[in-house]
Parts: sequence; C-alpha cells; structure tokens
Amino acid sequence: MNQEKQYLSVFHYLKSKILKYFEIVKVHYFSSWAYFTNVIGSGFTVVIRIWIFTQLYTISYQASGATIINGQSVAMVVWGLMLVQSFHGATRPNVSRLIEDDVKNGTLAYSISRPYSYILFQLFAFIGRIIPKLFSNLLIGIIAAFILVGPVFFSVKSILLGLILLILGYLLDFLISMIIGLVAFWIEDVSALVWIYQKGQMIFGGAIVPIALFPDYLQNVANYLPFSQLYYGAARLMVNFEMSLFKQFLLIQLAWILIFALLSTYLFKKGIKNVSVNGG
Amino acid sequence: MSQSTVAKYFSLTWEMTKINILSAMEYRFSFWMLVFGMIVNDIGLLFIWVIFFQRFPEINGWQFQDTVLLFSLSTMAFALVMVFGGGAFEISRKIRQGELDYYLSFPKNILWHCSISKTDISAIGDFLFSIIIFFFSGDISLSKIGLFLLMVLPSAAILFSFIVITQSLAFWVGDFEDGAYNLFHALLGFSLYPQSVFHGLLKLLMFTLLPAFFIVTLPVELVKNFSLLNFALLVTVAIGITILAVKIFFAGLKKYESGNLINVKS
Repeated sequence: MNQEKQYLSVFHYLKSKILKYFEIVKVHYFSSWAYFTNVIGSGFTVVIRIWIFTQLYTISYQASGATIINGQSVAMVVWGLMLVQSFHGATRPNVSRLIEDDVKNGTLAYSISRPYSYILFQLFAFIGRIIPKLFSNLLIGIIAAFILVGPVFFSVKSILLGLILLILGYLLDFLISMIIGLVAFWIEDVSALVWIYQKGQMIFGGAIVPIALFPDYLQNVANYLPFSQLYYGAARLMVNFEMSLFKQFLLIQLAWILIFALLSTYLFKKGIKNVSVNGG
Repeated sequence: MSQSTVAKYFSLTWEMTKINILSAMEYRFSFWMLVFGMIVNDIGLLFIWVIFFQRFPEINGWQFQDTVLLFSLSTMAFALVMVFGGGAFEISRKIRQGELDYYLSFPKNILWHCSISKTDISAIGDFLFSIIIFFFSGDISLSKIGLFLLMVLPSAAILFSFIVITQSLAFWVGDFEDGAYNLFHALLGFSLYPQSVFHGLLKLLMFTLLPAFFIVTLPVELVKNFSLLNFALLVTVAIGITILAVKIFFAGLKKYESGNLINVKS
C-alpha cells in the first residue's frame, strides 16, 4: 500500500514536472498556426526553391551527360533538397535571435526565478513552433516535387530511421542556436555568428548542393561536421537508405549533441552569473 | 522637382547616411563584427558554387567566373539599397505599428525620409565583398568597370522599388511583414544561381512577379555583352517600376491610419 502511494506520488511529481512543458508545446503550436499567412508564405518559398533546383540540376546533369552521379538521380537530388529545405524552413523564427532578445531585454533574468528550466522552456517552445510549418512545408513540398520530377521510392524503414535522425537534428540545431544566442551575454550583437552558422548549413548542410555530389575529399570532411547532421543526414537516408550510413550519421550526431549540450549548459550557467535581478 | 531640389536631396541623403554610419561606429567592435561577418557570409555563399562548379564545370555556357560577376553585381546593388535606403525594409512594420506618423510631420518626401532613416551596417560588408570579387570575374578593363557601375544603378533602383511595393502592401492588408520578407527572399534566391538554367514558367516569373531578370540576369549580360537596345530596356523598366513604387506608396499612404504616436526620435 505504502509502495503504491510512493509510486503515485512519484507519478504526480513527474506529471507536474513534465506536463508544463507539453503545455508550452501546445501554446506555441497554436500560436504558430494563428499566423496562417506566414505558414503558407514559408511553403511558397519552399516551392520556388524546389522549382529552381529542378531546373538547375536537370540542366546540370544534361550538361555533364550523366543520369546518375554518386548514386543520385536528378529526382533523388530534388527530393532530398526539398526535404532539407522543408525541415530547415520550419525552424523560423530563429532561436538564436529569440534568446539574444531575452538576454538583452532581461526576460532571461526574470525567467530564472520561475518554476521551469529556461533551456527546456525554449526547447519545447521550439518544438511547438516547428510542427505546423513542418507539416505545411512537407505537404506543399511533396506536391511540388511530385509534379516537377515525379515520385521516388521511400521505404517505411527509411522514413522511420530518417525520422530519428530528424528529431536529433532538430535537437542539435536548437543547441547550437541556443549557444549562439547565449553569446549575447558577452557581445553586443550576435548577427555575425548567426550568419556564419547559416552559411555553414548552406554549404555543408546540403541545402543547395547535396553532399553526395561533393568531391570525395570534401564529402569526408562534410559528413563529420555538425552542419550535415542537422537535416541533410535525415533527408539523404529517407531518399536513399543505407544502413551503414545511418549508423555513421547517428554516432556523429550523438557525439555533437553531447558536446553542444555540455557547452550550452556551461555557457548558460556562466552567463547567468552576470545577471542581477533588481526589483520585479 | 527642380534641379536644385534634386541636388538638395542627394546632399541630404549623403549627410544622413554619414550620420547613420558614424553613430553605428560608436560601437566599434560591433560595427566591424557586422562588416566582417557579412564578408565571411558572402564568401561562404560563393564557396557553395566553388564546390558546384567542380562537379559541373559549365552549364549552358555559364561558368564559375560568370557566377562571380553575378555575385559582385547583386551584392553591390543590394549594398546600395541597404546603405542608402535600409529603412524601406521597415515600411510594413512602421505601418502596422503606426510609426509613419513621425515622418508625416516633416516637410521632406515621406518615402525618401523613411527609407533613408536606417543604414544596414552589414551591407558595408557586401559592398567591400562586391569590389574584391569583381577582380576575380574574368578579364578586367576600364570599360568593364564602367559598364558594371552603369548597370548597378538601374539594378539597385528596381530592387529598391520591389521592396517598396511589397512593403507598401501592408497599407491594404495590415500585417504584411512576413509576406514581404518571403517575397524578398524568393527574389533574392534567383540571384544565387547560374542564370542560364532558368526557362519556361519560372523565367516568366522572373520577368513579372519576382523581377530577378531585370535585377541580375540582364545587367550581368550587359556587362558581358553590351547592347544599347537591352540597356534602354533595363533603364525603361527601372524608371517604370520606380514610378509605380512611388505611386503605390502614396496611394497607400492615403489609407494610412495614424497610430497617435508622435514622439521625438532619439
């Protein structure tokens, strides 16, 4: 009986600890849907990009005289790019900017006295914001890719395992963006860091040129960088699954997540020491 | 507008931009961080094409050097707009928040004043990047430099007008900040890619709704192979769209509802 009571109290304790974060997801999910034109606008940008990629890679493949390069057909390239763009396009507004604002205007200082973890609050808010845009981007993107280059083969296994990489990719993106935002504790404007991170994603994240089309020496470098482990890994495996590549990507991803999780916690603790709350 | 009025506007534009830049330079570290950050950002963008052209060295006659020229011209046009008219990017937000009131109380042209009110400091990085990479865009001659400078002006005018038109839509629809942002980035997207690949409906889009053809494709073509007829076309489009942008902005202004927000700008 006593044990049952104990279990029950542990359950209530966990419920009170975790449930609030799901409420945060819910609030941000619904508020994201409220700006429906923004959701559609984000989908419109994805369509234009896929359209451009289709013309770019169709003509480029024709010019090179090849139909398959490093195992990638034009259709695979376009579907892969569509997925990367849809995954990445769902992350606006930029987490670094939101955290930078919180650091500068003092919201972060007040949040430390509240009964939740600031980092977890931001993470769950990020998840809540992503969901509507991710679904609309994918819906619009899949229709566009289907019309422009026709279908490609997806297996259930590739989608499920790709989904694991995608969820971890979002976590990795959140942690890096969080770190950049927290740097605002020490420098006036983090714009330059945001741009460099974004360009890193564009070059080594396979957002314009898939890493599979890189020269070999650069492919090896790109696959080990965190940028390719955000969204490219998931997209690449969903379109063209290879078990060995999945294991490799998963290991690299987990290693980067560990590094950036430790770094973000360290920076947060160090930064918060600089904060002094005056009044309420 | 008399000649002296135009001259006064030019001199005022210069003075106000100078003040914008000098006040940003008060935070020296931040200033240079933004400038160099943007140069690194632009180099990063160009690096994508270094990789791409290793795989596909030539696409319908378009080579890496052409992309360098494309980047040089588009970043210069963008820099001119953002340095001298960065405030145009905030028209939509100012309409929504009723902040245009501030400009209504001044005797100068409201669109001009609103546009000149902000200088995007990072665009100075674009400006420097544009000059540096121009020298890697193939053979350099005085005539090429002259043509480049000549083409940048109409290109910047069209880009600026596009921003004014899209931002001014907020006069009618209320909140259009994200809409204008998305349209601008859809337009900017075209300026990244080899221009020889576009065809069909997408090309039609570049002539009309997202006029990238007149902002980058035609100016780059004119620097490479000048033709008086095409140049006349570019200038006509630039003048036409500028008049249209001004008309749309002032037509919208008639619908503007004050935010009762008269305050002194610091």
